[in-house]
Amino acid sequence: MLLPKFEFHEPETLKEAAAILSGIGEPTSILAGGTDLLVNMKKGKASPRHLVSLGRVRELKKTARDGESLRIGACVTVAELREEREIKDDFDGLFRGAGLLGSPLIRNLATVGGNIVTARPAADLPPPLIAYGATIELVKDNGERILSLEDFIKGPGETSIEPGEILSGIILREPPLYSGGGYVKLGMRKALEISLVNVATFFALDGPSGPIQKARVVLGSVGPTPIRSLRAEEILTGERPDEALFEKAGEAAANDAKPIDDFRASAEYRSEMVKLLTRKALKQAYEEAKLREWRRWK
Amino acid sequence: MKTMINLTVNGTKHEAAVEPNRTLVDFLRYDLELTGTKKGCDMGECGSCTVILNGKPVNSCLVLAVQANGSEIMTIEGLKTAEGLHPLQKAFVEKGAIQCGFCSPGMILAANNLLQKTPTPTEEEIRTALSGNLCRCTGYQKIIEAVMSVDKQDIP
Ligand code: FES
Ligand code: FES
Repeated sequence: MLLPKFEFHEPETLKEAAAILSGIGEPTSILAGGTDLLVNMKKGKASPRHLVSLGRVRELKKTARDGESLRIGACVTVAELREEREIKDDFDGLFRGAGLLGSPLIRNLATVGGNIVTARPAADLPPPLIAYGATIELVKDNGERILSLEDFIKGPGETSIEPGEILSGIILREPPLYSGGGYVKLGMRKALEISLVNVATFFALDGPSGPIQKARVVLGSVGPTPIRSLRAEEILTGERPDEALFEKAGEAAANDAKPIDDFRASAEYRSEMVKLLTRKALKQAYEEAKLREWRRWK
Repeated sequence: MKTMINLTVNGTKHEAAVEPNRTLVDFLRYDLELTGTKKGCDMGECGSCTVILNGKPVNSCLVLAVQANGSEIMTIEGLKTAEGLHPLQKAFVEKGAIQCGFCSPGMILAANNLLQKTPTPTEEEIRTALSGNLCRCTGYQKIIEAVMSVDKQDIP
């Protein structure tokens, strides 16, 4: 399949990219990893007149600590994200999500920012990022803004990004002392798979064995956007973490999910799976909390 | 409008004028006539177009030739050694890991990339590393066996 014709722009700085973007009056797409955009263009679902590639913008490819926060450049690839020590050590839910995205070949191209702005309901990174309370940075020619990722994604393929804006970075606050996260994805096969359901969790404990001080449960692929299960979070908060509690939280999460029937699975099956996956992802979060605690003492 | 690009493919420098909508796989196959790289789905799903771009295996159908400007690429044609077939290629032949052969260039490049980072991978690691490469013939088992059989001493 041939790609439609377009004009290609290759800025080297973010500033230059924003200036180009604001100067073009015609339909324009931003090219990052290309794993989504180029496929859509080949299928005829997108036909921008201009492509602004971010591939040469060095400042977007760095992950750096900034005080208590970790700033991930929007063009860091999913494979690179998994190589970051901080992600391995403190953000297990995100680490798992990144390892389940696409295939190893895709992970070498696809970017963290791309997985966010495409706003696919089944995407692997937004649920864990939301569970960790990520905020994002949007830059345009005459300014920038920061908002929570949760508020950014509006629907399938829809975000609150404005014309001329570029998603430049993702900011994660270092998780508190006794805390952990998890991510479980259900697909039909292990690679190159779109989630039927995915669940990301995070909770922070008051001390080494609880009670839970703050919890986030995010359900993916069972609604137009990743959904926070407020009911599950309420059940978890103030309680000591254990199997029985996780099971109750799973049931609450299934009540918050809004799955649909499609050719891949029925809504009923998806609801059942939300229960199970929530339980598993909470267990992972607890394991990670214990592991991080252990590592501190070692 | 065509753009000039410079890139190194299998150790040879190339300079070429390409249209921005030329994908890397088409550039390699049609402009450089390196037809060892295959094109199956053209959508990033089958891995038959796998090449090594700056040390990493990627789907070359999802990369524009202009994006590869300045990069270093290895295709299956770059794998053979002075003594002939690369040990992985030999293993694929000996273990019956090739039937129609359409997936083989991608499989072998992805496997070679794994062996360079992880000289003695577990079966699980091999399966994960090759999970972006589809094979419609062998049922994968022979491919896994071929990769496992390679003696790391033989890898150049
Ligand atoms: S041809 Fe590129 S992945 Fe199938
Ligand atoms: S040998 Fe035919 S696709 Fe793998």
